[in-house]
Amino acid sequence: MKFFRDFKKYWDYTGCAARAELKSEVASSYLNWLWWILDPLLFMMVYTFIAEIIFNRSQPYFPVFVFIGLTMWNFFNKTVLGSVKIIKNNNAIVSKVYVPKFILVVQKMLVNGFKMCISFVLILFMMVLFKVPFTYKILYIIPILIVLVCISFGIANLMLHFGVFVEDLHNVMAVVLRLTFYMSGIFFSIMDRVPEPYNALLLKANPVAFLLNAGRGCMLYGETPSLKLLFLWAVLGILISVIALKTVYKYENSYVKVV
Amino acid sequence: MTNQEIAIDVEDLRISYRCLKAYSIKKSLFQLKKSKVEIYEAVRGVSFQVQKGEILGMVGKNGSGKSTMLRAIAGIFSPDSGRIDLHGNSVSLLAIGVGFQKRLSGRENILLSGMLLGFTEEQVRERMDEIIEFAGLGKFIDMPVKTYSSGMHSKLAFSITAILESDIMLIDEVLSVGDTRFKRKSYRKMKQLISDKDRTVVVVSHNSETLRKLCTRLLWLHDGEIKMLGETDEVLEAYEEFMS
Repeated sequence: MKFFRDFKKYWDYTGCAARAELKSEVASSYLNWLWWILDPLLFMMVYTFIAEIIFNRSQPYFPVFVFIGLTMWNFFNKTVLGSVKIIKNNNAIVSKVYVPKFILVVQKMLVNGFKMCISFVLILFMMVLFKVPFTYKILYIIPILIVLVCISFGIANLMLHFGVFVEDLHNVMAVVLRLTFYMSGIFFSIMDRVPEPYNALLLKANPVAFLLNAGRGCMLYGETPSLKLLFLWAVLGILISVIALKTVYKYENSYVKVV
Repeated sequence: MTNQEIAIDVEDLRISYRCLKAYSIKKSLFQLKKSKVEIYEAVRGVSFQVQKGEILGMVGKNGSGKSTMLRAIAGIFSPDSGRIDLHGNSVSLLAIGVGFQKRLSGRENILLSGMLLGFTEEQVRERMDEIIEFAGLGKFIDMPVKTYSSGMHSKLAFSITAILESDIMLIDEVLSVGDTRFKRKSYRKMKQLISDKDRTVVVVSHNSETLRKLCTRLLWLHDGEIKMLGETDEVLEAYEEFMS
């Protein structure tokens, strides 16, 4: 398939570009790499404050609970929202040489993925700090993250395509993603806080909510995620990706004419 | 050059920009009347061949489809109809003011541009010093590209394309960049590149002097169609007469 050929061919470039992007973020200010850690930490404090002090709601290991949610959400959110204007932002490259456009999404995902990895290292530290019991079930986080990557990739490619033709998609997506944020239970447990029967429905139908919940379950509470649902979302993620890639491949040569 | 192989084969090429104005949800809500679809044909049925080792010049007034055609040959966008065959040659496009990620340093941009042109990381690193030396940007090479002047920008772009040699070079009005010294240097480099008989070059320029000195043949595009294709002096004479 063309996708795998291009993926292999441009892999070195993608890696280099992602590294350069991370490096340039660090270079622009000495404290910048610290922000990769501080950003999720501070937001964790904000949401913990809101939930525990203002709404007086809590979960076991609440700060870690929020942190895992934020980490996974940030990856999804930044990848999807960043892809809307990705062609415009990379106009310099796109109008000079041919590059398969999904490569730009992969590059973005590598950057966000790297930051997510840093966050996960922090999560492990926090789990020790909060004396969360470690079980082998923590390994389920790997397939969960793979599904998250798959779904993000598919949606991001769709955004890349429509972002070229629809000028104000960025505004629309900002609202949609904010709604998704609250429907994914970043700082509350959907199961406990959302009334029946919507809670179970939300956890099934919203992939981000499902993946967040499953990720926390396996890391914090030693639960096995619903493998059936995980498999289902993996298939759906691949399906979305295939459709998105087909669309992008079909139209990518006319993107330059628009920008 | 009668029995040489053909490097670029363009057949009945047509490219149009069609209803590609980005559309916005706000606009479509407030303008119920559908805006008319505008079709602008930039290149209309052009066919020509360039032989290996040839330097083809391209002239024509602004908006006659020269840049569009170069971009199509470079594979940046596909033709609406017609065919472009490069017979497996590698191709690089050199155009004004494009190609760099502004936040990254010159050095990183060299690496990335080189890899996008299809070179491996080692290949680019090997020639890195040569490129940096040719560009002659001094300490600016380690500064973000956004701090560059437009002249420095073009110098770097030219150096990358000139040193990392691809089989086909497409040059879009950049021969007159930089200061006098760089101009001379780039001209000499062009001469040297051109003397390589495996390299095919397509040059777009408005400078008759350059074209006369460099090109073996000239293609005159007018409103997306070939007006004339032939010996440099002959075409140039007709073109100059037409433009005056």
